[in-house]
Amino acid sequence: MILDWRKELTRDGSRITLSGLHMAMHCHHYNINLQKMLEDTMGTEGIRLIVESAEEATFRGWYSILEQFQQIRTIKSKLELMASLYQNCGMGIIHFQRMTHKGGRIIGLSSHHVTGWLAKHGRRDTPGCHFTRGWIAGVMEVVYGRALGDYQVEETACKITGHTHCEFMAKEK
Amino acid sequence: MPIDGLKIIQAVMESSRIRESKGIIPIFGVYVSLFFVQYYNRLSFQYEKLLGEKGAAQAAAYLTEAAQECGYATFHGVRNSWEWQEIVQPMIEKPEDQILGFTAMAEAFGWGALQIQKIVPYVELRLRVHDSYEATGYQQVYGRAPSGKCYMLRGVTGAFMDLLYGDDYPDGCFSFKAEEIRCRAKGDAFCEFWARKNDAGHP
Repeated sequence: MILDWRKELTRDGSRITLSGLHMAMHCHHYNINLQKMLEDTMGTEGIRLIVESAEEATFRGWYSILEQFQQIRTIKSKLELMASLYQNCGMGIIHFQRMTHKGGRIIGLSSHHVTGWLAKHGRRDTPGCHFTRGWIAGVMEVVYGRALGDYQVEETACKITGHTHCEFMAKEK
Repeated sequence: MPIDGLKIIQAVMESSRIRESKGIIPIFGVYVSLFFVQYYNRLSFQYEKLLGEKGAAQAAAYLTEAAQECGYATFHGVRNSWEWQEIVQPMIEKPEDQILGFTAMAEAFGWGALQIQKIVPYVELRLRVHDSYEATGYQQVYGRAPSGKCYMLRGVTGAFMDLLYGDDYPDGCFSFKAEEIRCRAKGDAFCEFWARKNDAGHP
């Protein structure tokens, strides 16, 4: 991988930075508490807030990363980099499949949010990977050179509900 | 004070580079993720905006409560982890030193530069934070704030006291309640949190 994780992930005073971008570590307790609080108090509007926040942060952050690493040119290598960033950020394992600029299918084999939700609350009946939906949309907008908000991602199967993996379908809005 | 914060920060940074095969980072008894602060700030401050002027106090209370419950569970996990036992426990001489260990962990997580101003066991904690990402993020997007905006750090300050001086886990959460008495987002030089006994006994 062109991005040397050990070199790029560093500290600037009390800040954590990845290739100069301001990051923070949070554990599953905080991430899941925020998700549950937003779902409980706002329902679908809370879910949309999670998706859109993840999408915007992903779009701006990974856009900056790709600007810094212009030797990563092809769509395939950009998507591979994004999958490795997802893993290195502790978000889980994700595979982009049959991707085009119109959309595609994405498989999640493991997930911080699934592991965290199951550890705190156990199984649920509805999909719970709202963060990853936004993350995928933001990635696709960066990789395919589109504007923020151009893609919509739905989770069609989720490990939280008992499936063997999470499955996401992405399409242009 | 005997706690070597730098040693803890280094341990967290090294551990965070270890990824198990599932892309999950299990360190200090919790699953950790690393992401842009912009995500957390947008989530908190947009939530506040969506609830409107009338709901702003409720939004702040929910966000602080979520963080306090998180801080309580997180740092309970942290202090029971093998990493804590190996790295931090040998540096602890008296119960209050645990809070120094917690603040070093929080700094390692990238939440800001945390300095304890005052601890009175069972009574109060004053915690000063330079470069809180919440205050910085609010100012960057919305300008000067009318009130404190560091809901995560506020909740976590209360949680530190809950863990030391509240009832045994898991019954001690919300034994203390913190206010943000200074915030960089509203023009102060730094953020400062003051946790005191919560006589109401609930958030």
